[in-house]
Amino acid sequence: MSESRPEIIRVEKVFKDFRPGFGLRRKRVLHGISFGVNEGEIFGFVGPNGAGKTTTLKILMGLIRATQGSASILGCDVRETEFRRHVGFLPENPYFYDFLTGREILSFYARLSGVPRAELPDRVETLLAWVGLSHAADARLRTYSKGMLQRTGIAQALVHDPSVVFLDEPMSGLDPIGRKEIRDLILRLRSEGKTVFMNTHILSDVEMVCDRVAIIVRGEISYSGATESFHAGTARHTDVVLSGLPAELEETFQERFKPKLRGHGERIELRVAEKNLNPLLQMALAGGAEVVSVTPHRVSLESIFLSAVEGGVQETPR
Amino acid sequence: MISLVRIWTIASNTVREAVRSKLLYTLLFFAILMICAGVLLSTLSYVESERILQDVGLASIRLFGVAIAIFVGVGLIHKEVDRRTVYTILSKPLSRAEFLLGKYVGLVLTIWMQMAIMVAAFCLVSLVTGADLGSAHFASFALTAVELALVVAVATLFSAFTTPMLASFFSVGLWIVGQMTRDLRNLGAQSEMQGVKEATALVYRVLPDLESFNLSTVAAHGLAFTAADVWLPTLYAAGYIAILLLVAVTIFDRRDFR
Repeated sequence: MSESRPEIIRVEKVFKDFRPGFGLRRKRVLHGISFGVNEGEIFGFVGPNGAGKTTTLKILMGLIRATQGSASILGCDVRETEFRRHVGFLPENPYFYDFLTGREILSFYARLSGVPRAELPDRVETLLAWVGLSHAADARLRTYSKGMLQRTGIAQALVHDPSVVFLDEPMSGLDPIGRKEIRDLILRLRSEGKTVFMNTHILSDVEMVCDRVAIIVRGEISYSGATESFHAGTARHTDVVLSGLPAELEETFQERFKPKLRGHGERIELRVAEKNLNPLLQMALAGGAEVVSVTPHRVSLESIFLSAVEGGVQETPR
Repeated sequence: MISLVRIWTIASNTVREAVRSKLLYTLLFFAILMICAGVLLSTLSYVESERILQDVGLASIRLFGVAIAIFVGVGLIHKEVDRRTVYTILSKPLSRAEFLLGKYVGLVLTIWMQMAIMVAAFCLVSLVTGADLGSAHFASFALTAVELALVVAVATLFSAFTTPMLASFFSVGLWIVGQMTRDLRNLGAQSEMQGVKEATALVYRVLPDLESFNLSTVAAHGLAFTAADVWLPTLYAAGYIAILLLVAVTIFDRRDFR
């Protein structure tokens, strides 16, 4: 995604302190974070649980106030309200009035978002069809499954056709099909020219859809930039399972590729660096071994943090 | 810029929630039962049975109205925050003031609708038993409606920053004290100590004078009343409600929804 696109979300030196109880002591959860999001990109805001992702998103949504610093969307201070007619928001595990039906809840949000009365019924029906809830439009939300509620959440975030969409852990708790649907939807939003800001702690989601990413650890931004650059800086490995590998070849592998090795004899499992994969496979096949499986080992966000943060990730209670 | 459309959207949804709630129907059922029970109580007396009937009926409307106002009002905002429904709503182009005012208006309308049903039951019982129904009764109903709007504002204020349990405690306490502020001031005025006089006068000025909304004795006894007996308390309530809601909005506006 081009860096020359205008920046439409800006977070500048934002600090946030919470008072855990009634005492005077404050706990700082955001330590002067700064980052920007360009128009038309999918931006991943990633970090382990308790890192400050949702706090940052809530500041952007005006649900909590920054102790210090500033945040703006589309050039407007996030404490204002009128610009929100251009903003959609899906919270993590969204909750809705369960006494309403799917159609009623979307009409309610559409009215709040300023959708003109004449356009409202069509807009609601379009969104219901878009998220695949037309068949359940007249059922009360209390009868909806988790996946249906998540889709309702997406529909309410898009009912007023916003240009910027914020998603907090959009794939949380969904089955593989549901996750794929959400990924497709996010990509579709980008193809329509919308900007998507996505909070997640799952790196594979980021890899699949995000153009740029910011990583937050313990309330501080530890990385911000293009997703490709992020990968370039992280070592990737592949797990290879071989059977019938001659013993002398096993020794050669250990000397030359220094793989992490499990088992020996009939079936061995090796973890090799990505650059060593092809020569290793060629040598193994030439030596008469059979390749049982080759599994790219994706570096999990948690493992990056574990190596990045001394002593491992400590979830900070609020 | 406050939008009446957005306030009405929140208010109408609040009414819809109440209409679909079984709990309020249960409370309404008991209120009507109490009004009808007045017929039985009135048969216990040979004299002034109609007055007893109406006393019980008017008191039932007032007490059940206050109970519903406090019971529902204290959870009005807290429930939205606790259930996190407020997250998606406040992410829309809607100010916190509009949200709070919408919730308030919706609950007042709900309570007035319920009161209208109780009043209809009262009128029916009065007509069946041949008890008088005059302008004083309707003035009494109007003032009770105004009082309930004030009680909802009290409950909304407490609901904006504390738990339903504490908000109930504060609201009920304030309602009870509100019944006595006038007597307290009159009592203090007779004191020879200047400090007591000033303290009771201050309490009277700061806390609501809810007795000014009680015309049930006038209605039940067929006593005379003036238009000022209705519009002055109404004006007083409007000012009081405005201040309460202003404080509630100020507190709610500063809250973090964690």
